[in-house]
Order: sequence, then C-alpha cells, then structure tokens
Amino acid sequence: MDSNKPIEELLEKYWNCETSLEEEQQLRDFFRGTSIPASLNETAELFHFFEAEKIKSLNENFDAAVTKQLRQRQEGKIISMVSFANIARIAAGILVVVVATYFIRQEVRKSYPKEIQDTYSDPQLAFEETKKALMMISNTFGKAKHEAGKIKMFNEAEKKIQSKGTEKTNI
Amino acid sequence: MNLETFQTRVFPVKNKLFRFAFRLLGSTEEAKDVVQEVFIKVWNGREQLDEIQNIEAWCMRVTKNLSLDRLRQQQRRPTDPIEKGFHVQQTALSPLDTVVTTENMKRIGELMAILPEKQRHVMHLRDVEGYSYQEISEILEIDMSQVKVNLFRARNAVREKLQKINAYGLE
Repeated sequence: MDSNKPIEELLEKYWNCETSLEEEQQLRDFFRGTSIPASLNETAELFHFFEAEKIKSLNENFDAAVTKQLRQRQEGKIISMVSFANIARIAAGILVVVVATYFIRQEVRKSYPKEIQDTYSDPQLAFEETKKALMMISNTFGKAKHEAGKIKMFNEAEKKIQSKGTEKTNI
Repeated sequence: MNLETFQTRVFPVKNKLFRFAFRLLGSTEEAKDVVQEVFIKVWNGREQLDEIQNIEAWCMRVTKNLSLDRLRQQQRRPTDPIEKGFHVQQTALSPLDTVVTTENMKRIGELMAILPEKQRHVMHLRDVEGYSYQEISEILEIDMSQVKVNLFRARNAVREKLQKINAYGLE
C-alpha cells in the first residue's frame, strides 16, 4: 500500500490541476504498466482512454492527397473555389445593378410627355415653344412696368407734399 | 517556404489536428476535410509562416475555428456520433484492446462527450495531446485561469462519474 503512496499523492495533485506536464507523463507511464492496484481501476480506465485517443491517426493516403493538392497550387493549376465564388458573387451583383439601371431608365423615359421629349428634335416646335415662353415673359414685364409707374407717381407726389411742408415752416 | 520544408514543419502535426477536429466534429470524414482545409490555408499563407512563433498551436487554432464554422453551418451538436467516433477508436486501438475493454472505452467517451464544450476541449488538449496551459490558452483563445478552471471541472466531473459507475454500476 505504501509503495502506491507517491502515485496517490501525484494523482491528488492531478485532480487539483497542480501537476506539471512531466508529472502527468509519470502518471501515464504508471498506468501503462500492469501492476495497478484495484483502488485505482477507474483512474486507470481514464488514462487508458487518453492513450487510446492518441492512437487515432490519418493514414499515408492523406499525405499523398494533400501533397498533390499543394503541388498543384504551387504550379497555379487550381483556382481557389472560395475566391472563384467571391468573384462570381461580385459579378452577379454588378450585373443586377446594371440591368436594374437600364430598366429604370427605360421606365423614366416612357413616363415623360412626348411633346417635351420631342421638342429637341423638331426645330419648328422648339421655335414655337420658345416664342410662347418669351411672349409670356414680355407680358409679365409690361404689367410690371405699368405697376412700377404708379408707384413712381405716388413717390413724386409724396416728395412734393414734403417740400411744401418745409417751405411753410421756414416762413 | 517550399513544399519540402512545409512537409517537414507542418505535416507532423496532422494527427493532432485530426484528433482535435474529430473531438469537435465527431466525424472522421469531416475531421479529415478540416485538416486538409487547414493545410491548404497554411500553405496559402506560407510567406507569413516565419512570423508565427508556435506553428503547431497556430494550426490547432485554425483547426478549431474551421471546425466551429462547420458546426455553425450544420447547426448540429458534435456529441451525436459518439458511436461513430467509438467505431474509429476500435479499429485504431488494437494494441490496447487486450488491456481496456470496449465497454469501458465507450463509457468514458460518453462521459467526455457530455462535458460542456470548453471543458471537453481543454481536457482533450491537456490529457490527450499534452499541451501546456499557455499553449491551450493560445489555441482556444481564452485566459490561462479559464484553462485551469475548465480543466479542474472537467477532470473532477469525469472522476466523480467514474467513481459512481464503479461503486453502484450507475450511469
């Protein structure tokens, strides 16, 4: 029983996470042996499990397959599927925007009145439209001039009254 | 870095990467795919490899991230295929088959599988792969104190359950 004391102490440290990597290796070595006391059976099972887990490995075919892939990449034979997918995604996005812009432009053009749209290509109609616009501006100016004349007359009358008022006060 | 140097420096960690991916994903095929993906990723960034201090820990971190990405995409728990994982063990376990019974291995595998994610990962990295606390902290991107706490909880949870099973035959 006493001979197991150092291992039991080490195990206590192990359960408390106080063991170093070297001490844990000592425990692994101990449980790999055959003279394990019955009181440590369940701990032995656990250590055997860890050992068994470590045996899992990839076979040699894996090395060959990966080496082949890396060599092909080194020679530039493989276009990364990830980067290809990204490029395709961006291209699809641009295409959608271009097509949408084209159709929206078509719709906007259709919604404009025809005469406005056609004015540019028909000189006679453009002339008539310009004439109409200038006449409208001219009429507005005429009216404004008439109204401004009234204001001018009012101002002059006001000045005359003021000057007469000052003459009287001087006398 | 040429292919030969890459094979010498990176290829030896393939089995650790595979076991870790398997622990996270619970599927041999998917774990293999992840390791392949990791190698291609590392190969594509080989120019920056000299700047990385611990290539092994870095590869393990990439493995963890790619495996978790896959899990997120698939929206499933990695604990489902315990039987599948166990089946892999059986084939790889032949040298230890005489010592450890199939039933015990299955039982401990199940106990580990029901541990919370972080505890499971920390226990695997320490007890199966023998990484230092510092390396585990780098791989899992968590504090050293968190590593110790999770390891303590994981070891003691497994210990308690094993003791119960051995004492009362309860599972």
